[in-house]
Parts: sequence; C-alpha cells; structure tokens
Amino acid sequence: MLLSAEGLTFTSHADPGPHVVLDRVSLTLDAGEIVDVRGPSGAGKTTLLRALARLLPDVTGALTLAGRLATDYEPAEWRSRVTLLPQTAAMRPGTVRDNLLMPWSLKVRSVDSPPPDGVLDQALHDVGLAEIALGRDASRLSVGQAARVALLRAVLTGPSVLLLDEPDANLDDESTAQVSVMTERFAAGGGAVLRVRHQRGDVMAQRTLRLAGGHLTEVES
Amino acid sequence: MNELAGGVIEIGWLQLAISTGFVVVVGILSMRLSLGLERDLALATIRTFLQLIALGLVLRWVFGIDSPWLVLAILVLMMAAAAQTIVKRAPDAPPGILGSSLITMLLTGFIVTFAVTGLIIQVEPWYRAQYVIPIAGMVLGNSMNGIALSLERTFADLDARSGEVLALTALGATPWEAAGDSVRVAIRAGLIPTINAMAAAGIVFIPGMMTGQVLAGADPLAASYYQIVVMLMVAAATALGSVLAVMLSYRRRFTADGVYIEKGYRAGKP
Repeated sequence: MLLSAEGLTFTSHADPGPHVVLDRVSLTLDAGEIVDVRGPSGAGKTTLLRALARLLPDVTGALTLAGRLATDYEPAEWRSRVTLLPQTAAMRPGTVRDNLLMPWSLKVRSVDSPPPDGVLDQALHDVGLAEIALGRDASRLSVGQAARVALLRAVLTGPSVLLLDEPDANLDDESTAQVSVMTERFAAGGGAVLRVRHQRGDVMAQRTLRLAGGHLTEVES
Repeated sequence: MNELAGGVIEIGWLQLAISTGFVVVVGILSMRLSLGLERDLALATIRTFLQLIALGLVLRWVFGIDSPWLVLAILVLMMAAAAQTIVKRAPDAPPGILGSSLITMLLTGFIVTFAVTGLIIQVEPWYRAQYVIPIAGMVLGNSMNGIALSLERTFADLDARSGEVLALTALGATPWEAAGDSVRVAIRAGLIPTINAMAAAGIVFIPGMMTGQVLAGADPLAASYYQIVVMLMVAAATALGSVLAVMLSYRRRFTADGVYIEKGYRAGKP
C-alpha cells in the first residue's frame, strides 16, 4: 500500500452554506495502480484530490504515504510526492524549457539537479511533442500541448502518486492517447495514479470508485 | 494687501470670504445642470474651512509648546490614520491587515522622516515641529497611496492567478514562491505613479511643496533643492512601505500549511 486515506472529512463553507463534501472518506492506492474516481458533477471529486494532496484548508482524517504519516512530512515535501495536476494546465510566462524546469527552481528541490536538455528533449519526443522546441514560447502551446507539457512537468519531478483532475477533458484524440501513454508509463514505473474522469471507455483503470453524497464506494466491474 | 516680513502677501478673512465665490459658481452650475451636488459641495466646503483652520491652530499651538513627546504623539496619530486609510482602500485584502499596515506606516514614517530631518536637513533640535510634522505629512500622505495600491493589487492579482498559484503549490512551492509574481507586479504598480511624478516634476507641474515655499518668499532655487529631497524621500517611503506592507500581509491569504485560500473557500465571503 503506497497511499492511504482514513476518514477524510471536509465541510465547505461556500454557497449555499455549510455542507459536508467529504464524509469520512477512506481509500488506498497501491504502487503501479491506476484508479478512477467518478461521480455526479459537484460531488466533490476535485475536493477529494485536493484533500489527498494537502491542498485544502481544514480537512480532518489521516493520510499516510509508504507507511509514514502525512504530518511527518513538510507540506511542500508531501505535495512534491503526492502531486496534484489541476484540470487546467497553468503555463508560466517563458519557454517550454522554463516551464519544465520550474519545479527545480523551488526550495523543496533545491538540492536536486534539474534534468539536462537532452532528457527534456527525449521526454517531449516520448509523449508525441517532438515538434515542440524547448525554446518555444509556452503561451503559444495549444490546449492539448499545454496539458501534456504540464503532465510531463509533474512526471519529471518523480512523485510517488499522481492525482489527475480530468486529465483528458477537452483534449483532442491524439493528446488524449498521449496522456494515457504517459499515465500508464508512470504507473508501470511504480507510481500510483488516481484520476477524476467523466469519459467512459478507458480500460486503463484497475478499479473505479464512485463519490456521491460525500461517500466513496467501490464500483463493481 | 498686507506683506509680511518674508515677502508673503497675507490672506485675511475678507479674502477667504471672496474665495467662497468659486464654490458658489460650482453650486450654481450644479443646480442648473441638476447634478445634485449642492449639499455635498456645501458640506465639503465647510469641512475644508474647519479642518484646515483647526490644523493651522493645532500646528501653531504645537510649534509654541516645543515638546518632543507632543511631536511624537502627533506623528503616531498621523500614522494610525494613514494605516486606517490604507485598509479602507484595499477592499480585496484579507481581514486583519490593519496591524501590518500600522507597523508599515510606523516603520516607514519614522525611518524616512527622521532620515530627512536628521541627516539631510539636520534640524536642531531633532524634534522641531516646524520641520518634522510637515515632512512626516508628506512622507505619509504620498506613500500611503502607493502602499494602498500595492496591497490592493497583490490580492486582486493573486485571485486572478489562483489557478497558477494552485499548480505551483501542488508542485511543492512555498507561499512566497507561489505568490512571488503577484507581489512583484503589485510593488511595481505601487511605485510607478511616484516614478512618473518624479519624471514629470518641474516640466508638467510645479510640485506642491516648492509652490508653497516660493509663495512664502523662498528663493526658487533653494525651494527646488528642498523639493528634490522631498521627491526622493517620497519615492523611498513608497518603495519601503509597499514592500513592507505586502510582505507582512500576503501570507494571510494562505493557510498555515501554505495553501492559497481561494474565493470559494473563504469563510463568510462565498
């Protein structure tokens, strides 16, 4: 068991007033596993991912990674290991290289050396972005290209768990296929993936969970 | 016309009464064009008279007493009022920034005011109200605008960039690393009006202090030296104040765990 969550509870104070979004939610993820989370719109799927990444204020419950309690990690260190990729790819001003190397400009990786250009070029090639030069202005990437660069950026940092929020929403077929390839490759390398998805017809997930009314249940396949 | 020893033409009650004629013209315009400003205008005119005459009387009294404690007390009051104004002008800022605004105004106000009166003008004794209070007034009045602008911009920009802030935090960024771009944009925004004013001074407009000194009979060149000191001092106060105010307050939008609190997660403000 790589990641476990026990009794996660979160109450939202936003409109229409206080309501429980996550009600004692528990789950586990094993290394190499890809798990999907489904559920109606507004059921709190994104909230669940944010709670797992420790990106939500006032969540109660226990999280562990490889047997170590979340509270034993600095928040930034936890997030660098249990990494959330938001639905909208946020590109920073600058080139594709600047964006791919951005995580190494952060204090949490100050002792790690960033990957050299050769590694970045090969990584872009592997995800079907060979035509994109590292010096390309990131603001000129298409939605599909930006989504892949953002996923690549997260994968390159080597997290243990990836939390993907609708990774293939609004993507063209080619980008969707490449995102799937990247996701499978990450899991094959020993990482765990939790995906929030609306689309059906993807055979990658070993398990599917359903979040509704604050409760998470396993969907029989 | 009454000329004082320094060459100032004194204004008396008669001249003040005549000057209200300007306001009467505006009042007539307001009535004719149905602007509905007559009441506000009358009230504002009365306040101008009362507040400025009160200020004149208070300053005359303070200059006469010549006490360092009184001067310091007045400076602290001025700084508290400036801090209060900053909070009002930054409605997007998180609650509880009055404390950091007050610290900012106290530090900036005291450091810059006494750097000017002590090191440059070399006022003797150090608390001489005639110099310290007007200089502090200019430091506070001018830097306050820049500081309020920087604060307002910081929190507006963070909200506009909340998606990017989340993505950065998700990759392990600290609040400072996630908010840095907004902080830089905001401090620049606060400083630009001051830099523009410095660049335009003397060509587009004659700055207020120099105007005052020239009207009071000072040599225009000597007045220009004073004005240069004042403009540089205002630039320093605005820069120092903006940096301090933003640095002391941006973290309030993040949780202790370093998560940016987006609009939808703010208690009481959905």
